[in-house]
Amino acid sequence: MTIAVEEKSLSVLAELYPDVPRSIILKLDLQRRGIAFTEATAEATSEPYYRGPDQTAFSGKDPNHRPFPGPLLLRDGTTVIASPIPNQFENPYTIDYVDGRFRILDDGRFIDEVDFSPRPEFYGKTTSRGVPMESIAWSRPQRLDIYPYRYCHYWDTKDQCKFCAFFTDIKQQKQLAGDAYAKVVDPEDIYETVREALKEPGRYSQINLTAGTDYSGDIPFEKEVGRYIEVLQAIGRNFATRRFPSQLIAPAYTKRQVKRLYDETGLSSYCPDIEVWDRELFKWICSGKEKWFGRDYWIRSALHAVEVFGKGNVYTNFVAGVEFARPHGFTSIEQALDSNFEACEFFAKNGVVYLSLVWTPWKGTGLGGQKQPPLEYYVRLVRGLVEIRRNYGLSSANDDFKHCGNHGDSDLERLN
Amino acid sequence: MAQLPEELLQLLRDPSSGKVVGTIDEDGTPHLVTKGSLTSLDGETIVFAEGFEGTQSNRNLVRSIWYDRRVSINVTKGFVSYQLKGRPYQYLITGSVFRTMIDRAREKRGPKADIAGVWVIVPEEIRNESPEHRAAEEAGRRGHSSNHLDVLKAAE
Ligand code: SF4
Repeated sequence: MTIAVEEKSLSVLAELYPDVPRSIILKLDLQRRGIAFTEATAEATSEPYYRGPDQTAFSGKDPNHRPFPGPLLLRDGTTVIASPIPNQFENPYTIDYVDGRFRILDDGRFIDEVDFSPRPEFYGKTTSRGVPMESIAWSRPQRLDIYPYRYCHYWDTKDQCKFCAFFTDIKQQKQLAGDAYAKVVDPEDIYETVREALKEPGRYSQINLTAGTDYSGDIPFEKEVGRYIEVLQAIGRNFATRRFPSQLIAPAYTKRQVKRLYDETGLSSYCPDIEVWDRELFKWICSGKEKWFGRDYWIRSALHAVEVFGKGNVYTNFVAGVEFARPHGFTSIEQALDSNFEACEFFAKNGVVYLSLVWTPWKGTGLGGQKQPPLEYYVRLVRGLVEIRRNYGLSSANDDFKHCGNHGDSDLERLN
Repeated sequence: MAQLPEELLQLLRDPSSGKVVGTIDEDGTPHLVTKGSLTSLDGETIVFAEGFEGTQSNRNLVRSIWYDRRVSINVTKGFVSYQLKGRPYQYLITGSVFRTMIDRAREKRGPKADIAGVWVIVPEEIRNESPEHRAAEEAGRRGHSSNHLDVLKAAE
């Protein structure tokens, strides 16, 4: 990237932007620069209290992979999705473990105390079919993540999103389903896993579903929609209420398909990710989404979904920073901010929450090794997005500081 | 962090003590709420459960942890009373302390009782506000000048 701006540090930015708390700037930077565990941290997080699942959607097949306990928890409760995958980051923060406490260090300097959520009680158990429950659902501090279909067919034609590391071996840049993972997860295994997870008091306040894209079916995406309905119905058997707090991150569907998801299941929010707003960049970065069926269709689908799910219950994520990717990306911060604020305004006006998440240029992805924009860009971005949404009476309860861990902008809404 | 005085600890751990948390709104107005769950689990910090993310008190606490503002706490039973001033150190949404507090909420208020999170406050100032203690303190500072004469009169 050739953006000529001075890199300002966390403490300088905290002074320059006093309306953005330091913990949120820290979160943005942890995601931007990545994290690395010391040996002491790797050992402490492998102990029974913290021990994570043996594999995650993004850990690949690395034989050296050690169970990662999930998102970081900052002192104010802010959840931070960041993975300590070795050899990925140029200048990561260090997570150290001293005297029974985890701490964030930057070049040896103490930044703050940090923690992880404990290992959920359902890990280590199996379903009645003998499937390990920790291969069915993964835990964030207050959210249960389920990936019912672990393969994205955009990869079949090399049309995967250029930043994507979903269920891939990030070194070999190939999908792992059928190899390291079962491709399709049985809804009954999901039902049993959720049932078990709910036994732990106060552990979860949302269920999130996402998967790779499957556009097959007589009507495109029909098979995938049917699969989600089956899975959501299975999950719903665990609840006494018709609707349960949940989000589906999925491709853009027709209004009829969205209505089926709403009418036939207890799903409470829907999120077709736009990934990048600019028309030309969308075509280049998300060529699969462009083929099935383009940016306008994607936008229309989100807008139609508001008629079904209601204002504020439809989201669309974008990968903040990827709009700078070489060789076609923006070259100025102002250009990128204008583009994203235009998108946020457009979506907010129509009842859709346009949420940012920090781009990680994983090595092995199409944009691997590229440089992200400076931290100040992310700080300006999140405060601008929140202000726009506030003007339209929108907030992000489904994707807030405790449910996701990806969005600095929704973290800022805690004072709204 | 320092160990809290034994008398205060007993008060904090007594479910029949009155417990009040004071925070400051955005415009500087004090905001007081009673917190039945308030206690000390480790003998050094104060913890209490927050029922909902969106309450005024919770937003004030978020503002306090973000912008380094203090909160105050009063614990009283009968004629024993303490005031603490401190800073929110952590907001717990999971983990063993969170679990203890949600279990307690459910024991007390039934299986459907729920909490959003648990605040951990590190005390920085502790004042014994018990009338007897305050009277002795005042007397030490101002002699008898603040007493009404009828309090000092000889028995008839
Ligand atoms: S839709 Fe894009 S980001 Fe999602 S799994 Fe497929 S290629 Fe990856």
